[in-house]
Amino acid sequence: MDELELLKKQWHRQERDLPELSYNDIYNMLLKKSSSIVRWIFLISIGEIIFWTGIAFLLPDSSKKFTDDIGLHNPLLIFNMIRYTVFAVFIFLFYKNYTKISNTDSIKKLMQSILRTRKTVRYFILYNIVGTCVILIGLNIYYYFNQDLVFQLMKNSDDIQASMNKEHFISMFFISQLVLGTLLIIGIIIFYRIVYGILLRRLDKNYKELKKIEV
Amino acid sequence: MEKDLEHKFVLQLEENQRIVHKICRLYTNDDDSHNDLFQEITIQLWKAYPKFRGDSKFSTWMYRVALNTAITLYRKSKRRIKTQDFENVSFKIASKEFDDTEEKQLALMYRAVKELNDIDKALVFLYLEDKSFREIAETLGISEVNARVKMNRIRRKLRTILNP
Repeated sequence: MDELELLKKQWHRQERDLPELSYNDIYNMLLKKSSSIVRWIFLISIGEIIFWTGIAFLLPDSSKKFTDDIGLHNPLLIFNMIRYTVFAVFIFLFYKNYTKISNTDSIKKLMQSILRTRKTVRYFILYNIVGTCVILIGLNIYYYFNQDLVFQLMKNSDDIQASMNKEHFISMFFISQLVLGTLLIIGIIIFYRIVYGILLRRLDKNYKELKKIEV
Repeated sequence: MEKDLEHKFVLQLEENQRIVHKICRLYTNDDDSHNDLFQEITIQLWKAYPKFRGDSKFSTWMYRVALNTAITLYRKSKRRIKTQDFENVSFKIASKEFDDTEEKQLALMYRAVKELNDIDKALVFLYLEDKSFREIAETLGISEVNARVKMNRIRRKLRTILNP
């Protein structure tokens, strides 16, 4: 007889020294909050939506004044309206996926529905990164063709010294735009990699194991 | 109504808690994590309870939700992963009916099972719990044939772990 059969024969004997929880112990556990990855994904998704929405309101007045003065008020307004419509669609998809996840499904099916949620999250991330890129590039193209205006407006604010000449200022302006923009995008990518990497590493590994059985 | 349901649920879980403890013991390595996982399984069972219609046995239904939680939903706390405390969790047979060698062999075997990956562990666990291959396959979401093939492979894997 191999060792597994031996273990099976004796398996139920371990029940003697298993812990024993009382009715009240168990009852109290019902009042606690879940810390499952599904709940985490859901909470993070809500956090993201609040974050990306909030960022628009948190922009300093000087920055708003700058974009208004330079004539970007209406284009940005339209852009934001589109953005919030897309956000609303994502919120709806997140919620739909979330309610579809059922812990009474088979292990494989449960993993699949979580991975589907993740896919939506991925599209959401991709959308944010691409969206951020597009607006940064778009803004800078606009600035490029309106260099005089940018220089004039910046000069009026306290940001630069009046003594700085235009060429110098413009090259500084675009270099700093490029550096900040790149840092922002890299920051977003790293943030998502860390958050979802930690959250889904184990699930990914187990899902691959299950798929391996099937081939 | 809610209170009645709660009461019924807690009673049923209290009666069947051994199943959950066995899963916790298999998937965690110390008392704190054991309790954490037990709690998460309890929450998940309670969440799914309204869907439990009673056409299967409560215990049968429990296996699925509990394993789903242990394998997929539960987030292991980072700082605890490495604290291996096999003395506390290894297979204990507190009895004098067995000679030392057999007891040691069983403890070694249990340790080998604990070294398997999450999915293999679930298969072995259900097998040790006397579940049929049909039930094992349904719980995991794979075909019965594949479950059998996989079980044979795990058997070989265990043998290699035990006799390197």
